[in-house]
Amino acid sequence: MAPFKILAFTVVLIGLFIWSGNGITRVSGEGSPLALGEGLSVENGEQIFWGPGKCSTCHSIGSRGSSVRGPNLGQSDVGPIIAVRAEERGRAREGDLGRTLTATEYLIESVTRPSAYVVDGFKDEMPTVYEPPISLGPDQLGSVILYLQTLGGVPDPASIVLPAEVRQAAGRVADVEAWAPYLDGDSVAGREIFFSLEGPTPCAKCHTVGGVGGDIGPDLSAVSGTRTAQFIVESILEPSAVIAGGYESVLIQTTGGRILDGVIRRETADSLWLVTADEVEYGIAVEGIARRRLQEISFMPGDFAGLISVTQFHDLLSYLRTLQ
Amino acid sequence: MTMRLRLPSCPGIGTLARRALCLGVVAGLVLFVLPEALWAAQGGAPAVENGVRTFFGLSPRATIWVVAQLHLLFAAFVLGVPIFAVIVEFIGWRTGDQRYDRMAREFVKLLTVAFATTAALGGLLAFTLFGLYPAFSGYFISIFSPSLFIYAAFFFVETGILYSYYYSWDRLADRKGFHIALGVLLNLAGTILVFISNAWASYMMSPTGVDETGTFVGTTMQAVANPLWMPLNIHRLLGNVAFGGFLVGAYAAVKFLAARTEARRAHYDWMGYVGNFIGLAALIPLPFAGYYLGREIYSASPVMGNNMMGGAFSWTFILQGLLVGLLFMIGNYYLWSGMNRIPGAERYQRFVKYFNVILIVCVAIWLTPRNLPLSAEEQLALGGQVHPLLGYFGLMAAKNAVINLIILTTFASFLLYRRANKTDLVPLSEQGGAAKLVLVLSGGLCLVLLGWYASVLFTLPPESVGLGPEGAVFIRIPAFLLVATMLAVVLCVGLALRDRGHLAQVIYVATVALAAVGFLGVYGFVVMVQANPLLRQVAATQWLILMSGLILVTAIDVLLFRGARSLGAIRWGEVTARSQYALIALCVTTVLTMGLMGFVRSGLREGWHIYGVLRDTSEWGFTPTTAVMTQMVGGITLVFLAAVSFLFWLSGLNDPEDVIPRADNPLGPVLDPAGQPTAGEGP
Repeated sequence: MAPFKILAFTVVLIGLFIWSGNGITRVSGEGSPLALGEGLSVENGEQIFWGPGKCSTCHSIGSRGSSVRGPNLGQSDVGPIIAVRAEERGRAREGDLGRTLTATEYLIESVTRPSAYVVDGFKDEMPTVYEPPISLGPDQLGSVILYLQTLGGVPDPASIVLPAEVRQAAGRVADVEAWAPYLDGDSVAGREIFFSLEGPTPCAKCHTVGGVGGDIGPDLSAVSGTRTAQFIVESILEPSAVIAGGYESVLIQTTGGRILDGVIRRETADSLWLVTADEVEYGIAVEGIARRRLQEISFMPGDFAGLISVTQFHDLLSYLRTLQ
Repeated sequence: MTMRLRLPSCPGIGTLARRALCLGVVAGLVLFVLPEALWAAQGGAPAVENGVRTFFGLSPRATIWVVAQLHLLFAAFVLGVPIFAVIVEFIGWRTGDQRYDRMAREFVKLLTVAFATTAALGGLLAFTLFGLYPAFSGYFISIFSPSLFIYAAFFFVETGILYSYYYSWDRLADRKGFHIALGVLLNLAGTILVFISNAWASYMMSPTGVDETGTFVGTTMQAVANPLWMPLNIHRLLGNVAFGGFLVGAYAAVKFLAARTEARRAHYDWMGYVGNFIGLAALIPLPFAGYYLGREIYSASPVMGNNMMGGAFSWTFILQGLLVGLLFMIGNYYLWSGMNRIPGAERYQRFVKYFNVILIVCVAIWLTPRNLPLSAEEQLALGGQVHPLLGYFGLMAAKNAVINLIILTTFASFLLYRRANKTDLVPLSEQGGAAKLVLVLSGGLCLVLLGWYASVLFTLPPESVGLGPEGAVFIRIPAFLLVATMLAVVLCVGLALRDRGHLAQVIYVATVALAAVGFLGVYGFVVMVQANPLLRQVAATQWLILMSGLILVTAIDVLLFRGARSLGAIRWGEVTARSQYALIALCVTTVLTMGLMGFVRSGLREGWHIYGVLRDTSEWGFTPTTAVMTQMVGGITLVFLAAVSFLFWLSGLNDPEDVIPRADNPLGPVLDPAGQPTAGEGP
């Protein structure tokens, strides 16, 4: 009987261990992470804060969460709710910076350069969240800021301007194996797609190859000689990830209230010429500009994945890779 | 309706051979028919998605988890048991007690069977990695390929030494020192192997030689010597010894429970005691090795460190606290239960219940969580995010204090066990110069340990640990405490030399309790608030003071009871069945703890194959729930124990039916913690 008793005893011990694990999961409500949505949104920001962003490892928000390593971002002993607190802190930063910060600027500083200002009573131990291992991308980081803006304030996507290093970090991708496209692609068919102005992706409308095409976007005549294949793929599918210098989109609000969004083709001391997406060029007097801001979003459409098939995409890629 | 396979009866083929034939037929079916069927069901070679393949449609992560954990458990067995065996063989050689020699040989024989299984599982692990994680494997091999060949070379070396060690047992019986040297070489080869594989595992957590784009630009040696390599080496080495001891204890317990003769019960009772002794002895420093590893993980990546005990993995540490607390409590229960077979133990047995109260309170404090996900109602009921009083027990300072007390209590339990049947001590002044020299050397060792760290603290610049100039005062306090403890060492050695050994023991145990647990326990809270980075130096001070206590008090104890009169021999075999189940529980708990901590170590990387460098973008790159983890670890534990039981059974097939103790001294002398036979033991 001894072997059976020993087996039963062992199984009971292991069973107790499994039972305690099941109990913990019931209490703590763990689960598989949900897939993150794309783009900038408060919902994404909330999900990132309480999930892959690891913010909740150190921060609570009011009575939600129990972490005490970092300041509570809700109404608490540390201060009022974060959006309100950010306004006060932004004003107080004048002493160090020589200028006040807006609430959003303070939030951005706190998230991207946490060592710039450390709240009394807390350690300077917050990691750089756009670097590995957390590696939040620009949209994810922007979404977190948007979420924090809702805590006592109003979300304002237009006010969120992330520092350049966030984008630079997002561009650094570890190369672990030689990259190769999934399909070989037909470069002749790809050339047709590129130059067909009636096709789904009239690339030549904005880009020049061999002197043919538009000039709103960069000249691609030797793109494969200067850029990796991965960079080209990213530029097609996520054009806003890295925008070539001189081709950034600019938002201009005139004193007359008109809003124009386009690429600056030429600029002098008193005037500038702006080309919009519909290829109309506007000359604007500098004194007539009420507000001017560099956009984070590329002028190039970001929905190529929905416009062409996988085969067409590889044909186009194959053509671009011939441009040395 | 049941069907039975009827094997043809062949003259000369016994039952065992028939069973083996049957097993061969089943194995053939599994090896040749099943893969074909699975291959056909899969519809050809599985595709690689996000650098990962499925295992015939099953989760590659679960597959690698099972294979890796089983391999690691077997590897711990084949690395831990030789350490155990050589220690035991050495004791047998020095004491002349053949039982130790026989036990060492019995376990090395098990190794010869387990070694092949470990190697097969290692090969399977490599194939699983190459097959299911090709992108990771490519990256990994590009960095570590030289070490793979070195590993293979040492594997051959270890194999050669193992078989030489086992098969030369009789031939080298008269040259025991040489044979033990072979055993030491075996352990050396095994240690090199475990260090190499630890480099791979630790690199995945704290990669070095990588530029900001994640490209490896360093050398293989830089990758090997990553920040977590040595902490992991120390932790695994000690863990393997503890594991070996507890596994031997469980083996002995099973044999004891199945034994039909008193001689066998006596033999396996004794074997279980030795296994438990070595297991507990190795368990004592393990929490500190774990603390060191944890602190280095935090230093390597604060994100990983915070996630460990204050984030997604904090519940696993509560489970770990429960399991390790159980190990100490069950170990103490076993010692208490064993006192029943020692004449004169009734003098001390009543104290053990107070030890158990201390242990239960300490384990409860150790288990107290700090970061719990609570609803608003729960927080209201608790009085805040943490309990206003009990919440302090969740802090590291409290946990450091209680683990010191747990170890001190377990040590005290050992001291009572040792002296259970002894009386009429021989004064130290009558024991000759050698005994006095041992005592002075032990005291000197304590002074060196304590003095070295005091000098480290006195010369530590505050800015080197992230403190301002005002932090110097916080560093000096533990340094002065170390100096005060050194004075206590001198006092206690002096008292012991003047035949006041008992008083010296009481004074030094009290000093350790007051300094390491009381003062530094409270001081830890002060440091956490005002000079947090210094907490690791406080923990190191606590550990060194405790270690000095174990060294000095053991030395005094050995000399104090040397030559003492015995009240009667230990009645080996006259122990309760419950105590044997305690030994089995120790083994099961150890395997569960290893599985749990293996999950934590590996899982801390979360969505990364190589932390911060190579992301796991597959659908399995997330942290499973605690429920899933305990199911997986529980299942693996069951499979491992079943496999080990099978190997034990297999290796015992040709054993004689009964254990034959030495004719002149059937029960032999009793092992004491110093490895010396105590006078007056045996019939």
